Amino acid sequence: MSKHRVSRRQFLNYTLTGVGGFMAAGMLMPMVRFAVDPVLKGEDAGDFIATPLKIADITNEPQKVNFSFTQKDAWYESEETGTAWVFKNEGGEIVALSPVCKHLGCVVDWNTDKKNPNMFFCPCHYGLYEKDGMNVKGTPPLAPLDVYPTKEKDGFLYVGKAEPRKGA
Amino acid sequence: MRWVAADVEMYQKAAEYVDTAIVPLLPVSFGDDMKQNASMAEFIGILTTQLEKQFKGRIFLFPDFVYIKGHEASIKALKEWENTLLDKQFKHVFYVTSDSSWRQQEKELTGNLLWLPSLSLEHMQEQQKVSIVEDQVKQLLSLFTEKWQED
Ligand code: FES
Repeated sequence: MSKHRVSRRQFLNYTLTGVGGFMAAGMLMPMVRFAVDPVLKGEDAGDFIATPLKIADITNEPQKVNFSFTQKDAWYESEETGTAWVFKNEGGEIVALSPVCKHLGCVVDWNTDKKNPNMFFCPCHYGLYEKDGMNVKGTPPLAPLDVYPTKEKDGFLYVGKAEPRKGA
Repeated sequence: MRWVAADVEMYQKAAEYVDTAIVPLLPVSFGDDMKQNASMAEFIGILTTQLEKQFKGRIFLFPDFVYIKGHEASIKALKEWENTLLDKQFKHVFYVTSDSSWRQQEKELTGNLLWLPSLSLEHMQEQQKVSIVEDQVKQLLSLFTEKWQED
């Protein structure tokens, strides 16, 4: 047994400082981490994802390509599937469009509306886009489809993060 | 749209465009069919998530309606749900379930019952799983677009 008795006041002092310190650390740590993280993480942009589409197989007709990537969202890490509509434009350049409708986010399809052939069509509120992704005035979408930056590697198509463009 | 804050915010700004509600109906039990009910829930979960992704701008996927299997009060509770949804301008209400007991009660509901025999995805290969689900989703998608065209 220790001869040194801890008084009630001392005891409270110790425990409170202890708990308080612990709590402060708990609050501060994430803040510090937030501040420092971007520096530690390094360059993350410019990540290109491989698609199963061969460059040689890209035609003038838009085709749907699925690709998968992992997405981290706080608690979850999930395997997501992305989609792109890929074709060669008149200039022979490769174009990869995001299928997400700029109105409210449904998935658009190519050439499925009989009344509007050779256009991207959104089944939700009948939004229309030209082949190059430009939104058709008078239909709900107010902006053109986002565009993926593309890259070629070992004969296959790689896509980056889809970027918005200015509307019609 | 889903029952998450970001989607609800979007919904509140564009409610007039979102006229279709989906409510998954999931039974819970503790008997022999416990595992079967769990795999139902998995299957319906995957399916409705895919549906929502395709039709995000027009469909609202509500949280699951969960009930004790065989409990008679479920239909009453579901009707309350239904009335609320219809009140809130949802023109189309769809229930997605693998529980066949709802088929006898379909007449009492205004919404459409989509009854899908449950597939156990447990022992399937990744590739097979994906193609089966994609197939089912495709069928459901055309069912929705047809309904919308009737408007
Ligand atoms: S979400 Fe595409 S037109 Fe509304």
